[in-house]
Order: sequence, then structure tokens, then C-alpha cells
Amino acid sequence: MSLELWIGMLVAAVGTYLIRLLPLLWMQKRLARSEADGPVDALPKWLVILGPMMIAAVLGVSLVPRTPDAAGWLATVIGLGVTLAIWRRTRSLGWPVVGGVLTFGVVVIVARMVG
Amino acid sequence: MKRESIHAATPGWLMGLREAIPLLGGYIPVSISFGLVATQAGFSSVETLVISILIYAGASQFLFVGMAASGAPLWLTVAMTLLINVRHVVYAPNLAPWLPPSRWWPWLMHGLTDQVFALAHSRLPQLPESRRVGWFFGAAMLAWLSWIAGSLLGAVAGEWLTSRWPLLGEVMPFALPALFLVLIVPRFTSRRWAAALSVSVAAALVCTLVGLTNVGIPLAAACGALCFYMIRLPETAGTNKGTADKGTTQEGRSS
Repeated sequence: MSLELWIGMLVAAVGTYLIRLLPLLWMQKRLARSEADGPVDALPKWLVILGPMMIAAVLGVSLVPRTPDAAGWLATVIGLGVTLAIWRRTRSLGWPVVGGVLTFGVVVIVARMVG
Repeated sequence: MKRESIHAATPGWLMGLREAIPLLGGYIPVSISFGLVATQAGFSSVETLVISILIYAGASQFLFVGMAASGAPLWLTVAMTLLINVRHVVYAPNLAPWLPPSRWWPWLMHGLTDQVFALAHSRLPQLPESRRVGWFFGAAMLAWLSWIAGSLLGAVAGEWLTSRWPLLGEVMPFALPALFLVLIVPRFTSRRWAAALSVSVAAALVCTLVGLTNVGIPLAAACGALCFYMIRLPETAGTNKGTADKGTTQEGRSS
């Protein structure tokens, strides 16, 4: 990398860090102020709603399989079903993910062999 | 009871580390791809490693090396890299109410990726205050180190790995949708929330299918929020922070 590109990379890195950090400092100040003023809910309602919506959006983005053919989509649907079923039984984080990934893998392999 | 007491004795950082393991399924294959793409674009292994350590934002790293390799103006490369990451501005404020005072938080914000946010947003409210810094440290550190290790592996042996185990790179990333599903399901607490979250998932899926992956996340979240405000279905929990948290307190425990 040229010196120019190194500087550009550093600017991008610092900028990305500030994008993550500055909103935290702003909200911490807001929370401290609201605590001093009394029991007012400092977190704006739109932000409370936007948080889960962002997680749902990240889910939507990650749903598209690496190879988006019929086998990939079938494995995605069945894998999600199994993940959900295991979550309903265990209410845990790890086992549903393990079960979902294994199911996804098995369905992809079987579907490719059959198809 | 026994399991609960074992759970309570586990240090916060170890819990975070353990609960972030599913993230590796997504991080390692993608970071290997990044390492491979970066070296093919003319970056050395050391340069690839430094980019992953310092920028640490998947999509924007791919864009950075791609634009730099194609000879795009530097200011445009940097501007586009930052523009992709703008969606991160809403993450820290959403976590702030659950972050106890600590001088570590500003440093730990480097590790606030999409996936770490999703995990932390669900788990931090369920943890006692004393373990939250440790939990976040463990989870964010594992994710960061796996990203760095994957990038290095991709830069050094990416071509060999992808030709030897092509299916692994296809199967492992399913850990991410599986994890996000588990994180989001407890939030379907009413028809209003269910409708809004479903709109967000569907909009993001459509955006990705038409090639708008990065803008898809904020755009889909905005669609979901708009749906939440527009429809007037019965709401039992969710808009109230406290109520929503109670709804998920016993859920999402690590196995």
C-alpha cells in the first residue's frame, strides 16, 4: 500500500470507530442528565423500536444462502424450522444454532445428491 | 437449580465468550473470503491483517480493498467505507441504558458490529450489572479475534481452503440466521410487534436479493419501525422498555 492509501485506511478506521463511539457518549450524557432531572425515560421511543428492527433486518439480510439455488433455499427453510423447534424446547442460544447448522448442512448435501 | 448455580458462578467474560461462539460460523468463512479477496487485489498479508484489525467492519472492508484496487479516488473510497458503516450509529445508544459506568466502554465500542449488537441487545438486560462489562469484553473479543484470524488464514491459505472444503463455507454461515432467529423470536410479544418485525425481515431479504445488502439493514429497519407506528394492533409489551425486558428475561440462555 502506498502512504496515501495507508492514510486513507487509517481515516476509514478512525471514522468507523467514531461512528460506534460518539453515539454512546451522547446517550450516556443524555441518561446522566435525565437521572439528574428525575425519573424520565431517557431512551427515545423511536430508538427502543429501532433496536429490535435492526436485529430483524440483520436476520433478513443473512437469510439468503451462499448458493441461492433450490437446495440452498430448502435447507434455509428447514434449518430455520429446526432452529425454532429446538429453541421452543430448550430456550437456549447454543443448541438451536448447532441443530440449525447441522440440519442445514444435511439438507444441502441430500438435496444436491437427489437433484 | 444446579444448572442455575453453575451459570451464576461463571465469570462474565467466559459467558460472553461462550455465547458468542455461534458468531464464528459467520465470521470465519466471511473473513477467510476477505483475506483471499484482499490478497488477490494486491494487498500483502500484513496489510490485510491491519485492515481487519483497525477497520473491523466486514462489508466496508470488501468495498475498501475493491475500490482501492480498481483505482478509485481515495476520498471516494474512504467516504463510501464510512457511509456503509453509518448504520452503526443507532447501536450504542440502544445499549447505553444497560451499560454500567466503566472506563472500558469507549474502547470496547470498537467491537460493536451488527452481530455483537444483536447479541448484546438481547443478553445485557438479562445479566446483573457487575457482569456486563466482562460479558461484552468476552463476546466482542472472540468475534474480533476470529475476524482477524480468519482474514490472516484467507490471505495465507484462502485459495487452498476454499478448494478443499467448498461445502464448509456454504454451511457454516447458516449459524448467523439461526442465531438472529433465536434472538428475535422472544420479541414477537404482540401482533403489532410481530407485524413490524416481519416487515423488517422481509424488507431486508428483498433488499439483499436485489443487491442492496448494506443499505438494506437501515432501510428495512425503518420500514419495520414505520409499520409499527402505522398499524394499530393490540400491543401487550415491547414499546415499554421494562415490560419488553421482562418478556425475555428467562430466554436466550446459553447452552
